[in-house]
Amino acid sequence: MTPAWFIQTRKPAWERLEQLIARTGSRGVRVLAEKELHELTRLYPAVAIDAARARMYKLDRTTQERINRIAIAAHGLLYKRRRTKVLPTLMRFFSTDYPRHFRRLWPYVVFSVAMFFVSGLGAYVTVQLRPSLIHVFIAEQLDMVDGEKGMSAEDMSERYRRMPHAPMAAGLMVNNISVAFNAFAFGITGGIGTCYVLLVNGTMLGAFIAHFTNHNQAYACWANLTPHGVLEIMAILIAGGAGLRMGLSLAIPGALTRKASLRAGAKDAVFLVLGTIPMFVIAGIIEGFVTPSYISGDAKIAVGLITGTAALAYLLLLGRARPAAGSGRPGIIAGGPTLSAGND
Amino acid sequence: MLDYDLIETPENVELERRLAGIGSRFLAGLLDNLVLLAAYIVLFLLFLAAWGVDILDEDKIIGAASTVVVAFLILVFFIVYWGYFVFFELRGNGRTLGKKHMKIRVVRVGGGPITFTDVAIRNLLRPVDGFGFYGIAGLFMFFSKKAQRLGDMAAGTVVITEQDRDYSARANKRLAATWEAEITPEALRTTGLTPREYNILRNYWARRSQFTEEARQRVLPRLLGPILERTGHQLEGQSLEALEEYVRGFVSKGARAEQEETKEEQQQSDQQ
Repeated sequence: MTPAWFIQTRKPAWERLEQLIARTGSRGVRVLAEKELHELTRLYPAVAIDAARARMYKLDRTTQERINRIAIAAHGLLYKRRRTKVLPTLMRFFSTDYPRHFRRLWPYVVFSVAMFFVSGLGAYVTVQLRPSLIHVFIAEQLDMVDGEKGMSAEDMSERYRRMPHAPMAAGLMVNNISVAFNAFAFGITGGIGTCYVLLVNGTMLGAFIAHFTNHNQAYACWANLTPHGVLEIMAILIAGGAGLRMGLSLAIPGALTRKASLRAGAKDAVFLVLGTIPMFVIAGIIEGFVTPSYISGDAKIAVGLITGTAALAYLLLLGRARPAAGSGRPGIIAGGPTLSAGND
Repeated sequence: MLDYDLIETPENVELERRLAGIGSRFLAGLLDNLVLLAAYIVLFLLFLAAWGVDILDEDKIIGAASTVVVAFLILVFFIVYWGYFVFFELRGNGRTLGKKHMKIRVVRVGGGPITFTDVAIRNLLRPVDGFGFYGIAGLFMFFSKKAQRLGDMAAGTVVITEQDRDYSARANKRLAATWEAEITPEALRTTGLTPREYNILRNYWARRSQFTEEARQRVLPRLLGPILERTGHQLEGQSLEALEEYVRGFVSKGARAEQEETKEEQQQSDQQ
């Protein structure tokens, strides 16, 4: 077959397919009649082969690209992503998929927890021994801890109270989620960036607590940290685990190629970090409204312990029961290469 | 850097897609960020209006109604900041407003439309890629085979261009060689040329006015040389005008043959 003959005999098919594609416009195949749809499915594979043949015959680039473009447009029409329903997917994600996902990736979170608490303990001991070193760990907010007279739990709540509650809750929420997203994103440095975020936050907390303890205000400190802090720190540590998951997948790819490993790691990690958003929302609301409230210090600490326990129960217990085989569609996380957290 | 990303279709045929260059991607990003900037300015003005003018007065207690508005605005800012790219890339099947303008699109490597997972990964990694005015992104795009930034690599996406490539800066679109100007077997027989030669001469003839005389002088002997040699004509010492006369001869002969052929076909179909 000569190129000229090829063009001449195949041209009607290309032009017909082009017409059909133009008819669908931006609304997809549903505007086509049944007959046209059959035509589309019949024409597309033939034109896809034509695109390859046009390359073989070395037709001029304009023609090659035109055939190629028609084939790609048809491919895009026929292999379209199925629309997922947002609400059921979200419900399923938070009710079963996320806790399972967490339990699959817990070793990374444990690593993140260890790093945070070791650095926190280090800073705590340092400031206990050398109180003036507080300035190394906490640059700002020192007016809150300044003054030798010390501050009661009531004083500290008073400071919280002066700020308008709703904007503060929103601001803290937003800030903390951004920290979590960054802890995830900077995991792409092989985990080093995530470790940095964990170390900075860990030492800050340790130094903060040590400083209040030095001023005999340990109780005030705990009463104002725990209500929101337990949930908040849990969520940050999970985000840290997500960053480490992605970082280690890049640093130690194992049997996969580095790129494939990174993709699998990023997929695991992004869902691990996205699932923390509700925890931050709840923590932010507590920090805005409960922490500055007039309830007693004991009650505030109780709030922190209860939310912490509830979160832990959610992560460890939900989605344990296996769904009946074949029931429901695969969740949003399912479908990727399944790697257990232990072996990479 | 490769120019193409190949899609392996389920039919086992490879289709090629042209990758978008760093320049068009940067411009698309710039446009998107201008849209974002406009949104931030509007939000900030609303914020000032809700908070009141005495924003610097620490002791000013703002009203309960406006605190809710301020809180709401903070949340909206956050959603716009992290959600703009995710939302528009998902909605536009890989095209944000800026990408739409530049005619580029995010797709999965090796074919298929992007999913929520891809979009979330590539856009949550923006803080890293965006370091130093997207310097990190530029660096990785420059050195990666498929012009991928870090977010693209982690998500397994590439950005392709859907612009029609213009092969000559001032190409006359009507005359550009497409299959509209097909070569018929009849034309080849009459002129005694190969399809390639015939195509070259016809393109030359159609576009000769776009080149300087000097360029034509340089190019034409190379195009015409093998043809004249085969038909037993003399190439050396001929003026540009004489050479172009040959070209005109071939092209008009071919065109006449084509016309006659289509006339015959029409007559045949009329008879039927």
